[in-house]
Amino acid sequence: MQNVAPKSLFLAALILSVATYPQSARSQETTSAQDQSKPASETKPASNEPAKEVAPDLKQASSDEGKLATVNNAKIPSYSKVYVAPMIGGFENYIIAGLRNKKVPLTVVMDRSKAEYEISGVSESEKAGWAKMLFIGVQNSNEEASIKIAHLKTGAVIFGYSVHKTNSMRGRQSAGEACAKHIKQIVIE
Amino acid sequence: MANRRVVSMVFFLIAAAVIARAGEKNAPPSQKIRKGAKVFVAPIAQGFDSFLKDAIAKKKVPVEITTNRDQADYEITGTAETQKASTAKILIMGNWHSREEASITLSNIKSGEVVWAYSVHQEASTHGKRSSAESCAKHLKDAIEGQ
Repeated sequence: MQNVAPKSLFLAALILSVATYPQSARSQETTSAQDQSKPASETKPASNEPAKEVAPDLKQASSDEGKLATVNNAKIPSYSKVYVAPMIGGFENYIIAGLRNKKVPLTVVMDRSKAEYEISGVSESEKAGWAKMLFIGVQNSNEEASIKIAHLKTGAVIFGYSVHKTNSMRGRQSAGEACAKHIKQIVIE
Repeated sequence: MANRRVVSMVFFLIAAAVIARAGEKNAPPSQKIRKGAKVFVAPIAQGFDSFLKDAIAKKKVPVEITTNRDQADYEITGTAETQKASTAKILIMGNWHSREEASITLSNIKSGEVVWAYSVHQEASTHGKRSSAESCAKHLKDAIEGQ
């Protein structure tokens, strides 16, 4: 009986360490991925300037799924030409499909020079591991994505949205549709 | 008096041109896909383009596949991902089917506008990539015939 207690303690500590390690590693990976996607000028903020000066008009708004940020009264006229920049893992295709599925009145173009607005961002997909399947009984993936819309002429970021879906039923498709649904909110129909 | 008329006419014409241009700018794009149009399927990750071409033929989608992009009216681009069932999935979930994800975009080569897009996700795909490609082809057929 005396040997059983240390063994169970060791087992519990092992399970805890396995369960907590990926979370910290994941958060580090996410921030590094975001840093890589930005140009060098953006990744190194000026030490003298405060961070809020980059986008002073951006306001956070509550959302059911993720974080939404919009410039004061920023709206996109319907059927404006939008270019969706390539993203990691081809997530731009899911956004385009989401825009169509959610009937967002925008015209997506393949040529950046013909566009008025640009959608860019990052996404990450984390497949369910054995522990998740064993303890929770779920095989759905976790999805994370963050996008921004910039006006190409002025360069101003007019919209930003980030989504995190735990146990996403339809993987990246769900994340793409969530982005599209929130883009629709700022399009004047 | 004549000068005033000329000035007002010019002003009116400029205003009409500006309004017309504004209306033209925000006009909805033509979303119709012509039956029998020539379609070029661009290379997609993991050879999904081959599955898609087969599925388009199998589902009798009313388009013509061409291997030359210059001759094509439309282009299909996209991404696809396959995840084979892991040992954990087989043992714990009792499921040995693969997980399939694909998203395709059909764009008009001349205008550069995206006319149709579709994404599919299958948690346990019976026939792997073939299933997701056929799903894409089926919905493309519906989009062409249903317009």
